[in-house]
Amino acid sequence: MNLGQIEIAPVYPLWLILLLLLVGSLAGMVQYRLVRRRLGPYQALSISLLRLGGISMIISLALNPSIAVRTEQKVYPPVDILVDTSPTMDLPGHAGKGNRLDEARAFLLGGQNPLINLLAERFDIRIFAFDESFRSLGKEELTALKPGAKRGDLSEVLEKLSRKNSSAVLLSDGNFRWESRHSRSGPLIIVPFGNLESYRDVLIKAVKAPALAFRGREVSIDVAIRSYGYNGLVLPVLLKEGNRLLTAKTVVINSSPAEVAVSFSFTPEEVGQHNLSVSVPPQFGESLASNNAVHLPLSVVRDKIRILMISGSPSLSYRFMRTALKNDPSIDLLSFVILRTPSDIMNVPLQEQSLIPLPVETLFSKELKNFDLLIFDNFPSHLYLSPNYFGNVREFVREGGGFAMVGGPNLLDEGRYAGTPLGELLPVRLTGKEDYRRPPISPGVRLTRAGAFHPITRLSPVETDNLSIWQEMPPLDGINLLEPKSSGIVLLESADWIPRPIVTVGSYGSGRVLVLATDYSWKWSMGMVSKGKGNWAYLRLMERMVRWVTKDPSSDFVQVTLPEKVGEPGKESEVRVKVREGDFSPNLGGTVSFSVFNPEGMEIASRIRAASQPGEYLCSFFPEKEGPYKVKVETPLGDREEVIFIPASGVDLDGAPNLDLLKMVAESTGGKILTQGTDFLKEIETFAGKGQERLLTERRFPLWGTPYILAFILAFLTTEWYLRRRWGLL
Amino acid sequence: MISRRGFLSLLGLGLAANLLFPGPNRSFCASFPQFFFTQLKYRGGEWDPNPQFAEAIIEELELRTSIDILKERRLTTLSDPNLFFCPFLYMGGKYGFEPFTAQEREILRRFLSFGGFLFAEDAMGAKGFGFDQSFRREMKQVFPHHELKRLSADHSVYQSFYLIKNIVGRQTVNPYLEGITIDQWTPVIYSQNDLSGAWARDKFGKWIHECVPGGEAQRSSALRLGINIIVYSLTSDYKKDLIHHPFIKRRQPTL
Repeated sequence: MNLGQIEIAPVYPLWLILLLLLVGSLAGMVQYRLVRRRLGPYQALSISLLRLGGISMIISLALNPSIAVRTEQKVYPPVDILVDTSPTMDLPGHAGKGNRLDEARAFLLGGQNPLINLLAERFDIRIFAFDESFRSLGKEELTALKPGAKRGDLSEVLEKLSRKNSSAVLLSDGNFRWESRHSRSGPLIIVPFGNLESYRDVLIKAVKAPALAFRGREVSIDVAIRSYGYNGLVLPVLLKEGNRLLTAKTVVINSSPAEVAVSFSFTPEEVGQHNLSVSVPPQFGESLASNNAVHLPLSVVRDKIRILMISGSPSLSYRFMRTALKNDPSIDLLSFVILRTPSDIMNVPLQEQSLIPLPVETLFSKELKNFDLLIFDNFPSHLYLSPNYFGNVREFVREGGGFAMVGGPNLLDEGRYAGTPLGELLPVRLTGKEDYRRPPISPGVRLTRAGAFHPITRLSPVETDNLSIWQEMPPLDGINLLEPKSSGIVLLESADWIPRPIVTVGSYGSGRVLVLATDYSWKWSMGMVSKGKGNWAYLRLMERMVRWVTKDPSSDFVQVTLPEKVGEPGKESEVRVKVREGDFSPNLGGTVSFSVFNPEGMEIASRIRAASQPGEYLCSFFPEKEGPYKVKVETPLGDREEVIFIPASGVDLDGAPNLDLLKMVAESTGGKILTQGTDFLKEIETFAGKGQERLLTERRFPLWGTPYILAFILAFLTTEWYLRRRWGLL
Repeated sequence: MISRRGFLSLLGLGLAANLLFPGPNRSFCASFPQFFFTQLKYRGGEWDPNPQFAEAIIEELELRTSIDILKERRLTTLSDPNLFFCPFLYMGGKYGFEPFTAQEREILRRFLSFGGFLFAEDAMGAKGFGFDQSFRREMKQVFPHHELKRLSADHSVYQSFYLIKNIVGRQTVNPYLEGITIDQWTPVIYSQNDLSGAWARDKFGKWIHECVPGGEAQRSSALRLGINIIVYSLTSDYKKDLIHHPFIKRRQPTL
């Protein structure tokens, strides 16, 4: 220690301290004169100096003296080494020996004096790897480093690197995510890997397609295709549904790299989930084949349910049904009513009639496919339709259309349907020549076992309430005398000695068929109105008939909602299952099952758990690989199957080295791209040295806190006291 | 061969069972075809000014249309529990009638709001008298938020079967029909031209009233209008479907 290390930091103003010292000195001089009169000059001087010394030391404590100890330390500049382990680092590198990550590893560890060791001698280094995760590595872990499954985000990585004034070295091919939101001060020195000149790939770069489409309306799909190293290639682009080719187009690649656009349009004809894909065939020498296809789940719904209704005569049945159908905004109704038969007399010229001819040819040859549902309401079809048209109706239903027949004296056209294509698709048959009866005692109706649970006749979620509603329904004044075929399911029957089917449903081909064997269903509306209960039951019945027969998904017991964004192999995929609200009894909870079958048809492990809402479940599974997975939900009320297409990892991967992005990153961080042949160490030193600093540390030890000072003060004062006492002043 | 004793025993058992276990409620309208006239009886005034009107219009309906019709009229009242199973209600009269009770008005409102149809006509042959005043009063009470308005020339009732240009009856008090329209449906149609007077004929088939001023041509128009009203009650605004529009436009270019 030397005196130069002593520093003061007065706790009071300096002038005050000096004033106190001055006053203390004057007091010492006065004391000296007083003591000298009694003792001698030497003794007085001793006592006065001792007191003056003690007081001065006490006052000088106010100067807050301390000893400052300064040490200087040399600091190694910090350097972070970032190794990009995004999946494209698995692609061939410059020389074609090993992948890009191998080259990055060799860059750091190769040679007799590995760069990593040289860096460690000169810098304070940390090593990190990043892909979808960001992790710190030891030097020895570099040898076992492997590419990850997803590309990383460099912006996030740089935000996590919190060392002040550190530089970073990035080893990457430029296939990471980057947002220039970063404000880090340290420069990024980038060593690029991969060779764009030798890279060859064709990929679906982007697809613009709707997730939801309307049936019968054209859908446009815009595709951007990028290629590297295939100048002059003529490339087919395929739009498929599952394995079925919908349409194909050809594009010509005129440069390398090149990006071309192609548009597809197609009209979905079936409601439901469609698994579309856009693909290009793998090319010779292509680096990546997994990015040649993109899967596009497309949900197709109806914009409106289009109904063609032909009524045999003006009737209350027609008018009440029309009102119910018109009441539903999702229904587009076109109806014809046969106002007069050929035997009726018309006594006025055509100009005074509103009647129009039934456009049979147009409706039954050309336009039928544009409807979702055809209704014959007490329609004597033999008067208007030739057998050929019956065949068209059968084909319409076979291909997925809905067909309903509503009762009345002409329901089965006096048996003329027997043996015709129309008779073939009906779920009922005639019992004899008499096919319609207005009984003297009108029968009520009752639900069958199937009808108690069927969405058409389940008007109330509570089973007992539903039974009561149907028991309350007024009796029918006219019914058709039918028998169900084995393929038909009777939902409602007459409460008669011999029960007759009133509502019967069935399927034919891909379509559904319904027979309502009465022209007095309007009484179900007015009967309930008369009791003050409104007409909701009738409206709901009509709505459910229409939705069921047109296969509207909302009428299904079990609804499966596929994930908007499907997962990938190894990641959990989840679907939401809803057992139709109100139709689900909690007692059935344990019997809802969920199964998943892999692309080979083998069942794989899956999990089902109740969601927050009653009747809703979350079902999940881990797909092992890409491909179509069939999910099946089974409940006592009905089953449902859907297919989820799990795409391969790296579907949208563009593996070309992205030198442009690397340059941009380097510029935005004030760094540099280092090319082959550069003296890397020197370059890194150049950048990292900019941040080099001498670190000066200073420690202060306050003197007033030391016991020696206290001892000195005590020694002065005690000695003075002792001498006073000895010399007789006390 | 069953013995007399056995037969009587079975008959007795059957009667006893019928008394003990009565069958389901029997409908007032059982065995009715799809359309039937139901005439409303009310208190006061004259509820049946043309008792023999139904036969001619029923015959016309049968001859000219495909409607399955009952060849007689039924009578009902607003307190009849079976009123709701008679969705076509005819109400005629000449003179003022007693106000409906609150319950009757509520029943009529419910009947008309949920699918029932009322064709009312003043047979007096003059504006603003007894029946007209009483009927308008009742309609204001039944539908306080809907007015009885003149039906426009393109209303479906004028196009439902014939394309009607002349709105007449036994007389031509108003060259139009009035109605209360709720959404697209007109559950109340009102005429002051005594249509039923033009339709009425005696048991020998002779027209009871002369149609003035147009004579038999006017009667023919009255019958056509009657058919249109009935067809409208069974088809609603079906003629407004787009497919019909070009045909009607060609035949009635003025609309």
